[in-house]
Amino acid sequence: MSDSETHHEDEHKGLMIDNKKLLMWLFLGSDCMFFGTLISTHLIYRKLDPLSFEPTSMFSLELTSFSTFILLMSSFLMALAVSAMHKGQIKSFRRNTVGVVFFGLIFLACQVYEFTEFAHLGLTLESGTFGSTFYLMTGTHGVHVAIGVFWLICMLFYSYTGKMDAHDSAVDVEVAGLYWHFVDIVWIIIFTVVYLIEFIGKV
Amino acid sequence: MSEADYNPLPVSPVDHSTETERYHVFVNLALVLAAITGIELVLVYLPFKTAFIFTVLVSLSLFKFVAVIAWFMHLIYDKLLLTLAFGTGLVIAAGTYTALLFLLSTDFVAPQEIPGSIPGL
Repeated sequence: MSDSETHHEDEHKGLMIDNKKLLMWLFLGSDCMFFGTLISTHLIYRKLDPLSFEPTSMFSLELTSFSTFILLMSSFLMALAVSAMHKGQIKSFRRNTVGVVFFGLIFLACQVYEFTEFAHLGLTLESGTFGSTFYLMTGTHGVHVAIGVFWLICMLFYSYTGKMDAHDSAVDVEVAGLYWHFVDIVWIIIFTVVYLIEFIGKV
Repeated sequence: MSEADYNPLPVSPVDHSTETERYHVFVNLALVLAAITGIELVLVYLPFKTAFIFTVLVSLSLFKFVAVIAWFMHLIYDKLLLTLAFGTGLVIAAGTYTALLFLLSTDFVAPQEIPGSIPGL
């Protein structure tokens, strides 16, 4: 039995959805609950626990907006990388994936810079519920970005081995793309409910 | 195997022209998402009512959220089951927030005890 036939055997017969893709969507659904809990905890404690300082004095809206823009553009490049793989254009896939990795690293650098600045200003993991919930939520997101970057770097290296084939690799890239886009949508929510809303009526 | 042997790869089952159409959708969407992020940034500096800005920000954020899921993540091109798989997680996440909001509403939370004080006094 050829690899292609084996792959089709793997697909769910009745639903005609690739197993890897279905599994990734189920994982993303569960990750949604995970981030939902983290974001909820932060927002609830933000409401319940009055702060002795103003978060807007720490947050840099310009930096966070830049990070958001970078992540959105990385999502765009990821969509192009997936599209290129579907068309069998491996060079285009590599170009776009390098872009995604580069943007992902910029995002991580911005986050490290932001955390360092906050720590200098006195906001640490131990400084009350705001500090702990904020770092836990944004840190977990950062870890997801780091995992995504690592995953895409592995795919890039794999693309040079000559083992990629049109169908399986397109699905693999699509699955990695789903993960990356998910990281992006989580940040879209965090950017609005954690950062932007703090600034309403205060600038 | 040299790179020339497998590059370009044979085309996948997804139609080539469909991918080209999607490319234009992705470009337009990326421009819209960037523009919305810019609008969000400007919005918080504008002297409008808090409730109005809050509503617009949340709406724009939800639009970006849905747009990325629908087009970048190909959900509108895929089977309904995938939407349900993800939607279930999303509904539970939203439900968790709503439940916590009601459970831990300030009206229902007992006042915090002062460290060192005798409970009940």
